[in-house]
This record gives sequence, C-alpha cells and structure tokens, in this order.
Amino acid sequence: MELFGIWVAALLTLCIYSFLYQDNPFYRFAEHLYVGISVGYGIVLSIHQGLIPFAFKPFWAAVTGESLIGLVKLIPIGVGLLFFARLSPGHTWLIRYPIAILIGFGSGVAIPNVLRANIFEQTRGTIEPFAAMHAGTLSGWGVFEAVLMVVGVVCTLTYFFFSVEHRGPVKWLSKVGIAFLMIGFGSAFGNTVMGRVALLIQRADFLLGDWLNLIS
Amino acid sequence: MRRQVPLILCFVFGIVMIFTQFSPHSVSQTLYQEVISWALIISPFALVLATTTLIQTHVTRIRRRTEHWQYSFLVFVGIITMVVIGVPFGPQNQVFEWFYTHVQVPMDATMFSLLAFFIASAAYRAFRARTFEASLLLITALIVMMGNVPVGDLIWNTVLSWLPLEDGASGARQWILNNPNLSARRGIILGVSLGVISQSIRIILGIERTYLGGGD
Repeated sequence: MELFGIWVAALLTLCIYSFLYQDNPFYRFAEHLYVGISVGYGIVLSIHQGLIPFAFKPFWAAVTGESLIGLVKLIPIGVGLLFFARLSPGHTWLIRYPIAILIGFGSGVAIPNVLRANIFEQTRGTIEPFAAMHAGTLSGWGVFEAVLMVVGVVCTLTYFFFSVEHRGPVKWLSKVGIAFLMIGFGSAFGNTVMGRVALLIQRADFLLGDWLNLIS
Repeated sequence: MRRQVPLILCFVFGIVMIFTQFSPHSVSQTLYQEVISWALIISPFALVLATTTLIQTHVTRIRRRTEHWQYSFLVFVGIITMVVIGVPFGPQNQVFEWFYTHVQVPMDATMFSLLAFFIASAAYRAFRARTFEASLLLITALIVMMGNVPVGDLIWNTVLSWLPLEDGASGARQWILNNPNLSARRGIILGVSLGVISQSIRIILGIERTYLGGGD
C-alpha cells in the first residue's frame, strides 16, 4: 500500500509539473482531483472538529438525558441551517442571520485582540529598547537599531497617512517610509521565493529518492 | 425584520464578545466559551453551502457540456471519496490518512512549488531596477535569498574573506529581517490594526452594512 501510495504521489506530482510545458489533460486531471480532495478534506475536518464535538455530542447528551444544556446547541444548528436559504430564491434574505452573527462575533473578537496583540505589543516592542538606552545598558549599535526602528515605524505610518497632503517634511518622511516598505517587501519576496524553492527541492527529493531510488 | 434583526444580532454578538473578553468573571467566561462554540458550529454550514455552490457550478458545466466538462466528474470523485470515508470513520481512519498523505499533501506541495518557476519569471520583470525603490527591493531580496542558503555564506567567506565578518550573508539577512523589515512590518501592522478596529466598530454599530447585501 505504501509503495502504491508513492507511485500515486509521484504520478500526480508529474501531472502537475506537466503544466510547466503547457496546459494539458494530465494537469487538468490532477487539478480537478486536487480541488475535490481538498474540499472533501475540509468538509470532514469541519464536521469532526466543529460540528461533532461542539454540536452533536452535547445535543446527544441532552437527548439521552445526561445534560439538558445541550439543547441550547439547537439554536446555532438552526442558525447554521439558514445558510441553505440561499438555495431557495424566495428566502435568500434569511442567510443574513448567520452572516450577521459570524460578522458580529468576528468584529467583537477582533477589537480586544487586535488592540492587545497588534497595537500595544507592537508599540511596546518599538519603544522598549529606549528603556535600556535610558538605563545605559544599550550599546552604540543597539542605540542605532532602536532609533532606526522608530524612524522606520513613524515613516511607514506617515506614508499611509492620507489626511494631510504629502508636501514638505511629510513628503520626505513618506519617501523614507517607501524605502522601508521596499526593504520589507524585498524581504517578504526573498523569503517567499526561498519557501517555494524549498518545496521544489522537497518534491525533487521525493521523485529522485523515494520514487526512483536514485539518491539516498 | 429582514435587515433590522441581523443588525441587532450583529450588535449583540459583537458587544458580548468585547465585554466577555475584558471580564474575568466565571459567568462571563462561560458565555465567551459558549459563543465561541456557537461560531464553531455555524461556520461548517457555510463550508457545506460553499461546497453545494461548487457542486452546482460543476453540474452546470456537465449539463451544458462546456469546455473540459469531463474533468468536473473528478471534483465529485474527490469530494465523495473523502466524505464517504472521512465522515463516518473520522480523519484518523487509515484509508482517509492514505488519501491525505499520498494524494492531497503531494499535490498541495507541488502546486505551491510550481510557483517557484512563475515567481522567477515575475521577479525578472519586477526586478529590472529602474528606480531607487526597485533597486532597494532587488538588493534586499537578493541578500535575504543568499542569506537563506549555505552557499550565500560560502560565497561571502570566499569572495569577501578580507572582511573581518564571517558568515556575513546570513548575518546581513538576519539584521535586515530584525530591523528595517520589522519596522516596516510594524508600520503596516499598526495601520492595518487601526483600520480593523475602526471597521469592526462601524460593523457592530450598524454603520457598515454592506455584508447584508442589496434588496430588502
């Protein structure tokens, strides 16, 4: 079964790489199968990690008389079923109920978490080295890095600040911000390329090693 | 009824999620956990609806005999195979895991590794350094890429052996990631976070209603 699996994986890998030549039936075969398998996998996970533990088990416990609190789960199940109202042209508006709940939930979760993790923590990380600088424990290079960090953050934010016209000092600050942004995008690009190349090496390693046994 | 109730639901769920996160009281925490479980129950229904729409699209393709319609059957094969095995027997089932390990994971990795080729041609077009900003992006990406692989340090130690700094490629990469890159990212994160918070407040207060769609 393992050997068969290696052959299946190798042939599917080659099917997808055949796209490098041009679009062809082998690629389309693998592409459509990939979509189907991925969607099926997502459905199974959401049922087994969402619906069963959070809805079905508590509800079943209520049905068997173990814990009646599980009956409350009928509410989210009913709300979730309203998604299917989209399939009935006359009742499409009902889909707004589950969407409104999920959006309200997401917004409510986002505000405190974003404040804490993204605003307070990032600001703290930016100005924290100045405490060490004040205490005299930061080296000359550390001072340079701390100042560079603040300059980078302020200039990047200035670039995104559209409430004032970018003229005079604001223009120069935003120009420095662009330079920092380009370094950020360059780093992201470099890391992405290396990530993809690592995947390519891993696939080549699989084909030449696991499948063809040409390398050990 | 059709617009007001969803707005009220959105407001209530948003406010509940904000306040329960700030209150350590046991009732508040129980409510917080309960609402989270509700969201986890409702979300899979959205996935099932998305799958239904996907199936409808492919059924239409088959019915209308559009170009490459035969491949639509493969999407169904993928979904049905994973659901038929995974839903009753669970994701830990051996056959389900076999499909995951030998079909989905290799195709997933290959699809992403395919991007290595396209990103290279995109990089050629993007990196024709004509401006200062483009040059900055190019140089940063090159340093990050070379610092990611051992050959980068090998080249540095061979070509720039007269410098007192050893393994400078990986060192330069790390310095860029930890300083100018991080400051740009912090600027972006702070800007995005402020946007998320303001948008969340607008959604909860019912000022932003585009998620309700058009019509009554």
